[in-house]
Amino acid sequence: MTHSQNKSSALMQGVVIFVYLAVLTVIEYFIAVAFDAVPLLIVVAVIKAGLVVYYYMHIYQLNADDGDDEHSYRYKTGTNRIGLWLFLLSDAFVFAGLMVMRANLLGMTRPHLNQTLGLVVTAVLLVSSFFMNRGETAMKHGDVKAFMNNTLVTFVLGLGFFLGVVFVEWRIAAHEGLTASFGNPSVGPVGGVFYMMTGMHAFHVLTGLIFLGVVWNNARKGVYSAEQHWGVEAAAVYWHFVDLVWIFFYPALYLIGTAV
Amino acid sequence: MKKFFSSALARGLFWQLIGLLAGAGLVTGIRALMGLSTTDTFFFTEPAWVLGGFISALFFLVGSGVTSDWIKWARGIDTPDHHEDHHTGWEKYINLSLDHKVIGIQYTLVALVLIGIGGLFALIFRTELAASELQFLTEDIKLFGQNGPQLYNTLMSLHGMIMIVSILLGISGIINYVVPLLLGAQDMAFPRLNAFSYWIAVPAAVLLLMSLFLGGFDTGWTGYPPLSARAPVGMQMFFLGVFVAGWSSILGALNVIVTVLRMRAKGMTAMKMPIFVWAAIATSLIALTATQLIGLSFQLVMFQRLLGMGFFDPAKGGNPVLFQHLFWFYSHPAVYVFVLPGLGVISELLPVFVRKPLFGYRWIAMSSLGIALVGFVVWAHHMFTSGMNEYLRVPFMYSTLLVAVPTGVKFFSWVATMWKGKISTPTPMLFVLGAIVVFLMGGLSGPPNATVSTDLHLHDTYFIVGHFHDTIFGGFVFPFFAAIYYWYPKATGRKMNETLGKLHFWLMTPSFFVLTFLMMYTGLIGMRRRIADYDPALGIDFYHLLMTIAGYLIAISVIIFLYNFFVSMKKGEKAEGNVWNSRSPEWQVPSPMPVHNYDQPFEVVGEPYDYGLKDSTYVRFVESAKSAHK
Repeated sequence: MTHSQNKSSALMQGVVIFVYLAVLTVIEYFIAVAFDAVPLLIVVAVIKAGLVVYYYMHIYQLNADDGDDEHSYRYKTGTNRIGLWLFLLSDAFVFAGLMVMRANLLGMTRPHLNQTLGLVVTAVLLVSSFFMNRGETAMKHGDVKAFMNNTLVTFVLGLGFFLGVVFVEWRIAAHEGLTASFGNPSVGPVGGVFYMMTGMHAFHVLTGLIFLGVVWNNARKGVYSAEQHWGVEAAAVYWHFVDLVWIFFYPALYLIGTAV
Repeated sequence: MKKFFSSALARGLFWQLIGLLAGAGLVTGIRALMGLSTTDTFFFTEPAWVLGGFISALFFLVGSGVTSDWIKWARGIDTPDHHEDHHTGWEKYINLSLDHKVIGIQYTLVALVLIGIGGLFALIFRTELAASELQFLTEDIKLFGQNGPQLYNTLMSLHGMIMIVSILLGISGIINYVVPLLLGAQDMAFPRLNAFSYWIAVPAAVLLLMSLFLGGFDTGWTGYPPLSARAPVGMQMFFLGVFVAGWSSILGALNVIVTVLRMRAKGMTAMKMPIFVWAAIATSLIALTATQLIGLSFQLVMFQRLLGMGFFDPAKGGNPVLFQHLFWFYSHPAVYVFVLPGLGVISELLPVFVRKPLFGYRWIAMSSLGIALVGFVVWAHHMFTSGMNEYLRVPFMYSTLLVAVPTGVKFFSWVATMWKGKISTPTPMLFVLGAIVVFLMGGLSGPPNATVSTDLHLHDTYFIVGHFHDTIFGGFVFPFFAAIYYWYPKATGRKMNETLGKLHFWLMTPSFFVLTFLMMYTGLIGMRRRIADYDPALGIDFYHLLMTIAGYLIAISVIIFLYNFFVSMKKGEKAEGNVWNSRSPEWQVPSPMPVHNYDQPFEVVGEPYDYGLKDSTYVRFVESAKSAHK
């Protein structure tokens, strides 16, 4: 691992990016309420995604110099990194397919959902990404204790998001007549689309939580060091990817179009 | 026999059965507690079969032991980079191995088994088609909850998907065996993921075949709703099997790309890679990304059936045409997944047997990528009659016709490579030449389907069936056989019998031409695809009889091939040297290949295909300190 940044500036960067993301989310919400301008929402989502991909997922590391020794940990990490990103690329096609489905079946309508709850779960996931970034930065500088604490916070927030969507959001939606089986013909396909998209995302959150649990436990056992912690990096990148998906799903489900 | 029962394969299958019962039992128990019905036509209810099928695949993977290293890593236990194979002889191929060569052969063997099963299904329904009216698949017979015509539909549908899975496994077989050797790598980038990609295909094939016994399904391999939304339980097993098999394709493709990016020998720049590697990259890019969409579209139908989420049910506000868009976004590029490696084999082998440089190396490399990329924007040409928006037809027609450009580049290059060459025709070269001619027929019969005005007539006729059998035989089957005949000595140290090989070729090729020409011709005069019976007034009974005879001759030729394949392992002529006089690195070392491939690493010092040029070499082996103490 190259120490291109010292620890405090890396942590500071995480804070700044988090503030940007939070402000952009608020702007996004107000654009939706005030103008209902879809192109503008797309622009904001793309900017947020770019920030996450660059500053939290460190996509530029794909280009890092890994040395020449094929048997070194550094070289193997570089290889693993390409593999992980290709997997994420592949996975992104699933979510893109779901977005296409949403656009085709719902067009400029959206499910009638609890907006406050939507903002809360979005914020929870965003904050979890912030702590994930702190945890990974700590591990890069060999601070296992700080890594474990931050990852624990990430885990709890992630669990909160998962439970919030599945046991609160779904329940409220079902109470208000949004059923998976499109029970009410006047509602149209909106229920199925909502449950499929949030369900697929929640499934990825769940796998991310398992991943976080595994690296936390391994860190406890002392498997990772400042130089060798591919597992931590992979878990962090995957976690940010789950957040990345939500950056697009949140406006698609909560903000775009008119509620039916 | 004892060796079989203690193998990873047998353990996996045993645990798959346990998983199936556990999953199905769980759902049945929950249903009983909820006061819902617990049994159905096929004993378990549909949700029980689906969850059971899904869990059975997971149990297979854990039970066969392919995930055990990963489980150890998750618990913080380190494992050695390589495990030595304890097994020798045939047991090696039914046990876990991380060696890409063993995995490549495992893939190939399963592909051959599935080709056998899919071919058998084809023979059964081809026999029924030999004359008009129903002869033996009549409505009186009852098998697996299906009458004769329904069984015809199931066999016809399964023939399609089983062949597709077998092709995917076949290309993985060639790529797995050959690509690391061509690159000078010791193994694939992720050996465990490689093993996982292979082993996950086995439970997938089992699930796929289970659909035959659970009422079958009658949608053809495309599984379009609304028909697939109300077909018997077999439909769900079909969806599940394809979904699981898709992961084999996705993860295998990921591995190939990373291997090529990271593990090339010294000096092997992009434009000095063997041309087959370019084909492998192009095909992997499609398989990695587009495959997710067939998985998603099938999942959506599964959820529609299980939970009533009517994504594709117009009565509930859904849209059946959406399924077709999602499905073809994979399933059209999928045919390029099938043919690109085959075309790569042609380009790879042709210079060896004409002793001349490959004409236009860069153009061939780029045309593979070109086909792959254009392939992403042509899908709706399958939907000209679907009722999609009419303005979409013309752009998709043009993008489809555009595919002919990079494909044409390949043909010109092959012809120019052969021009004035010293052509010799051992069996692999025969199949290469056969592939070129057959693929040309497939290519020429393509534009009529791509052009909207003619496709409106041709859609869903036997013409289409003739067309795609030509492209798939030319683009995959012939090159696959060529690759097996060509690399067989590398894998076994023995050659396959030349006389039997030639018999295979000369029996299969003319029969195949008769079959597909008649398919296209009868299609033009009114034969529809996917039907169990046709009107005798069409006057095509005799052609169907000829097609059936041709089908049987192809089957006989494949049996000759299989005999040759298995007998030559023990009795074939010894061939430990550079039998084809090739410049490629894998032929510069004795056969069969040592376990960790090259004892000495090589570096690339010239162009790969400079055959016939004096004093030019492609690779040079170097002494290295690392290889000395191995």
